Amino acid sequence: MNSGIFERNKNIIKKPELLAPAGDLERLKWAIMYGADAVYIGGTLFGLRANATNFTLDEIKEGVAFAHERGKRVYVTVNIILHNEDVTNLTQYLKELDKIGVDAIIISDPTVLSLARKYTNLEIHLSTQQSTLNYEAAAFWKKQGVTRIVMARELTKEDIQLIKNKVDIEIESFIHGAMCAAYSGRCVLSNFLTARDSNRGGCSQICRWDFDLLDENNNPIIGEKNFSFCTKDLSMLKHIPEMIDMGITAFKIEGRMRSIYYIATVVDIYRRVIDEYCKHRKSYTYNNEYEKILSNSANRESVPQFFNSIYDSSCQYYNNREEVSNQDFLGIVLDYDPKTKMATIEQRNYFSKGDMVEIFGPNIDPITITINEIYNEKNELIDVVRHPRQIVKIKVKERLLPYYLIRKKGFDKKIKV
Amino acid sequence: MSKIMVIPNSKEKIEELLNDSDAFLLGIKDLSVNLPIGFTLEELNPVIKLLNKHNKEIFIALNKNMHNSDLYYLKEVMHKLNDYAINGVFYYDIGIVNIYHEHKYNYDLVWAQEHLTTNHYTCNYWYDLGVKYALISGEITLEEIIEIKENTKMQLIVPIFGYLPMFVSRRHLIKNYLEYFNLKSDSTINYIVNEGNKYPIIDDNNGTSVYSAHILNGIEESLVLKKKKIEYLLLNSFNIDFDVFKKIVNIFKNINEDNKEEMINTFNKLIKEPMDKGFLYKATVYKVKNNE
Repeated sequence: MNSGIFERNKNIIKKPELLAPAGDLERLKWAIMYGADAVYIGGTLFGLRANATNFTLDEIKEGVAFAHERGKRVYVTVNIILHNEDVTNLTQYLKELDKIGVDAIIISDPTVLSLARKYTNLEIHLSTQQSTLNYEAAAFWKKQGVTRIVMARELTKEDIQLIKNKVDIEIESFIHGAMCAAYSGRCVLSNFLTARDSNRGGCSQICRWDFDLLDENNNPIIGEKNFSFCTKDLSMLKHIPEMIDMGITAFKIEGRMRSIYYIATVVDIYRRVIDEYCKHRKSYTYNNEYEKILSNSANRESVPQFFNSIYDSSCQYYNNREEVSNQDFLGIVLDYDPKTKMATIEQRNYFSKGDMVEIFGPNIDPITITINEIYNEKNELIDVVRHPRQIVKIKVKERLLPYYLIRKKGFDKKIKV
Repeated sequence: MSKIMVIPNSKEKIEELLNDSDAFLLGIKDLSVNLPIGFTLEELNPVIKLLNKHNKEIFIALNKNMHNSDLYYLKEVMHKLNDYAINGVFYYDIGIVNIYHEHKYNYDLVWAQEHLTTNHYTCNYWYDLGVKYALISGEITLEEIIEIKENTKMQLIVPIFGYLPMFVSRRHLIKNYLEYFNLKSDSTINYIVNEGNKYPIIDDNNGTSVYSAHILNGIEESLVLKKKKIEYLLLNSFNIDFDVFKKIVNIFKNINEDNKEEMINTFNKLIKEPMDKGFLYKATVYKVKNNE
């Protein structure tokens, strides 16, 4: 192993960066509060998630200030594939980002790279949209001034290691979230089927649609479910120690359009795994409960896929688009009164008196409680909380803080890896 | 006058396309995607000699996404191609540019990132790095193509006829489906169907490719592009009968303002499959929701 991240006594001296998505300012704050070292966001222009709320320049400024005050970084996606008309105002936009002090931009189209280098001092990361799969491509982009490459999701562990060994450049790898069925940049299903440009942020996820399948003679090929491109999600939870040992610079979580619960949960779990492994490398044990929590937060099966060179039928998802909505997320802590020990909660899913729940937050061990008393806004005792966003109070001995979340109780078994 | 570039679908009948084609785009087995046939280097040698003899331009598509494991063979092929009299190599993977710069080969490069070749600024970026040609995206409008032409020194290759590639995956999506549901099929080509449209889908060694349901029909627009001095019009024979394709090539080669009505009539009679104008007049949108 030649990652240069160990001291002689084999303690880890440089942790990888945990990079989280943030579709808006609220999510940015949640991601950072829950342990992200950096967040990536999109402006209202030039980003590949046109349907996320995205950030105005003022919001980017506020987000950068919030992050920098806490020693965290903000990267802005400027990763659409440009058409002629899109280039208008691009230089000005890049200058504004530079002035605000964003820590890097994430680009796909080399014209953005070219303009950023000419007119700004912005650090440049190359998006996975360029599908960088080999060390020759990595070497090329390094010469062009790219400081970090978001690797293609099709890479195996050995591929990543080889690139890392051959080219001295920061490497960012996806660790969690949805996968494209195609090589990134090489799918225009949305363009053809919905007239929305997938390489300019209009992806309409055709890969999750169902299709009839015919053979070359137009005879139907019929399975129990319809044909779909859809793949399971990515989860690298079990491989985080290996990835840390490889010296990968940044671990990226996918999903700028995901909920705050999802972001908080996923960031929190990966934060814990990274910290636990880096602190106790030799005695590290894999926590099975983390896997269950992650699994429940996404409602979809997750597997490591290409990292292990496995991209066969076990990675496919044929479910006729039936996905169960997340029921684990019960509420958000809005306030806590230490005198009365009453926590004010905003409901997100049904819970009731007698339920065993878990309260989690940044830098705390999850707190398990049984809900014994619930009061509504009129201070009346109630048994169930069934209304969306209903404000209630519950009694909790431990002091809670705003930003803490409440979920159903999971399991707590550790297994040695 | 634009040159006619063809992608043949038969190794044996290439000679029959010599009359009306100015340039040939050929695939290499295991290094090309979205081409109906792939040659080994041994098979390629006599074809190149034949095309050289008839003063045809030759382009080789090394256009798959290259993994580290492909690099050894890729470099061997790029090196050997230097000894052949070819005009250019199509690249999708940027690793090829790095290898090319290192070895300064005799042939030129063609920026062929399929769906990413959508503006003249980026054409010029690659031009400044020594790339002479660009294969223009099949998802931009005629107006955008002309605007690119007017603002770059690059020689442009514009898809004008055939099924358009719209998806490439490393995954074996048909094989996976058959395996998952314990089904059997020996088809080399399949179709997926949505709202009555049949999209050709191929699962081979490289993974899975999907093509448009309709054939791009740019016969009338070819006259506009010829007038605008677009250097190459690209005709793809994928999934099209060879004899029909040969006649189509002849029409594209010979159509002009004087004979266009007759030529278009003949053209329309030849093609039985659904055709459309692709994105030549259809701009894609990407902003479907205002930001609050």
